[in-house]
Amino acid sequence: MASSSGMEEERDSMEDYEALISTTDVELLKRAWRNEKAAPEILRFEFQLVSRLREQIELMEDTIHDKSTSSTDPLFLSLFQMDFDRTLFLLRSYLRIRIQKIEKYMFHIRKTDELWNRLSKEEKEFTEVCIEDLKQHLEESVLSKLPATYQSILRQSVTSEKDDMVPEPELDTFVLCRSKEYLTGIQLEDGPVDDRSKLFEMEPGVLHFICYKSIKALVESGKIDLL
Amino acid sequence: MAGQSNHEPSLFSAEELEFIAEDEIVDIVPNIKMGPLNLISGDFGPFTPQIVTQAPLWLAIALKKRGKCSICPPQWMSDEKLTQVLEAERQSQEISDQLPFHYVEISRLLFDHAPDNIHEIYKVRSLIEDIRNVRFHKVQTDLEAFNGRTIAVKIKNLSAMEVNIVRPFIGRALQAFLKHDSPELIPDPERVSDRTPHVVNNAPRVTGLTKVCKKCLSMESLYSTSVDEPYTVHTHSNFPKTLNR
Amino acid sequence: MYGRKAYQLVKEFASGEKGQLAPFNSDLFEQVVAECSQHHKELQSLIRKIEEEGLDIQTARNADYYGALIHHLALVRNKRCLMAYMYNRAEIMPSLSWKIGHVLPKEIEEKLSHSEVEYFKKHSAALKSCMSKLMVDLTVDMVPPKDPYIQVRVLDDIGEGIVLSDDRTANFVRHSMHFLKRTDAEPFISQGLMEELTS
Repeated sequence: MASSSGMEEERDSMEDYEALISTTDVELLKRAWRNEKAAPEILRFEFQLVSRLREQIELMEDTIHDKSTSSTDPLFLSLFQMDFDRTLFLLRSYLRIRIQKIEKYMFHIRKTDELWNRLSKEEKEFTEVCIEDLKQHLEESVLSKLPATYQSILRQSVTSEKDDMVPEPELDTFVLCRSKEYLTGIQLEDGPVDDRSKLFEMEPGVLHFICYKSIKALVESGKIDLL
Repeated sequence: MAGQSNHEPSLFSAEELEFIAEDEIVDIVPNIKMGPLNLISGDFGPFTPQIVTQAPLWLAIALKKRGKCSICPPQWMSDEKLTQVLEAERQSQEISDQLPFHYVEISRLLFDHAPDNIHEIYKVRSLIEDIRNVRFHKVQTDLEAFNGRTIAVKIKNLSAMEVNIVRPFIGRALQAFLKHDSPELIPDPERVSDRTPHVVNNAPRVTGLTKVCKKCLSMESLYSTSVDEPYTVHTHSNFPKTLNR
Repeated sequence: MYGRKAYQLVKEFASGEKGQLAPFNSDLFEQVVAECSQHHKELQSLIRKIEEEGLDIQTARNADYYGALIHHLALVRNKRCLMAYMYNRAEIMPSLSWKIGHVLPKEIEEKLSHSEVEYFKKHSAALKSCMSKLMVDLTVDMVPPKDPYIQVRVLDDIGEGIVLSDDRTANFVRHSMHFLKRTDAEPFISQGLMEELTS
């Protein structure tokens, strides 16, 4: 749409450069962090990425420690320290958002295999304990005081045919996203079958506000980034 | 366990946007000699006096603060370029593609930390301010063009900060449209008495590519929904024996 | 009217300031619980009546059936409101553990029911144990880090060989300039022995 200009070339070379450095684990974690922040549901835990970064953080901590006792230039040291602080912040924030999602949707996550399998071992343990604690609290304060047929924590009464009292994330939240490549054939998940032939296209780099449900699979496969 | 709040904490704060922008790469001219920096976030340097090299903003600013380099503002931050952009923004309803996603954060960081490296700083500052205002006004006009048929919005060239400001509004508005258009919530009086519920599409119909707001090419409603399908209300009258204990 | 009190309970929560806890309204809460028992009693007596008349509950569609249905629905509604009230209050506890740590200030504790206090303690213990397993403290670094170093000028002779937090030593001679961690410099700045230099 826009006429090409020197500016665009500069942008392109900028993007090439970004593609080059986007292979660093910090860039990958930043992407995971943004996705996790923007997605209404909990995403797959980045097992390998997190363990690689933990190693790098530890290594950097050692380096900083070693250098601080030797007579290294304090300038050098402060730059290492900043890099360390930035990475650690990202890691903490990433783990924190996940823990907060668990706090919010523990029952739903526990009973949905797809979500449950996305958690790390520590997160799973945390979920179990949270459920136990909250259940006990709600049973003691509310449920035990109700007639027997109304005491379920997941269902309104024994007449409910399925769990109808479990808070779930709203998947039809609108999210902001950007595709890395030219994507065609995105199905708006909600669309009725006969309209599925009408598919959605996404140009690379262009921002879209779209219903999370429709692009859920593409976020999971890493084709689309949320921001 | 009813009643959930929106997942608003997941929005990016101004500090977080700045944090993200601090990873943008800029040119710097060091005035010291320093070997390469092998950081977790990447390898930078080596740094040689008077030789231009690239560094992320946070690093550039840290070096600048310590008096070890000067920062070359990006090309788009020159007063000629910005004058052109402002002109273009004023003349068209379209949002210019000449500024990077983080232009607000980048320029603010440079104003704060490298004012002496920016040529004609007062002019540049006021140009950016003007551009922000013009663009903002356009975004607002675009939002007015939303309607219940909008289920996806394409946004061209909006910057991070602009996106962040309109995000809660757009998100909530679109969600509200979707909800109010949702068949589940709209009773069809003729069918309420019908005992056997009809299976109908319980989702908005996608009627195809319609550009609702042609005048604003920066935001196009790509798909529209319609609610001309009839459906039934779920009457809650199951009342099994199990309650009798 | 059925459900009125339960509605008041939820409304009380909803009209409170977001993220803040109002005192637990045990009075109203217990009234709603009592209403539930009352509904259940009436529900059962209506069902007994239907059965005594030899009717099948699955098919009976008389006044007693609809009466019983209304009691059932009222009870479910009350339950939902009680749960919403408790659950929404309980949802604030984790955010308190994030913000104020693991010990409840007296003025907040006073607003909680006994069970809520217990829940807070257990939940923050769970969070603590999770963080120790992760080997990362997640309650710090809530906002992105900034350059931790600042440039300062020493205003008066402070001394030589002063050990800093990163084990380095520094000589703070009058008029000398240093790059220090903000946390190291702050005590001196507040004593008027140093000043921060801004670019």
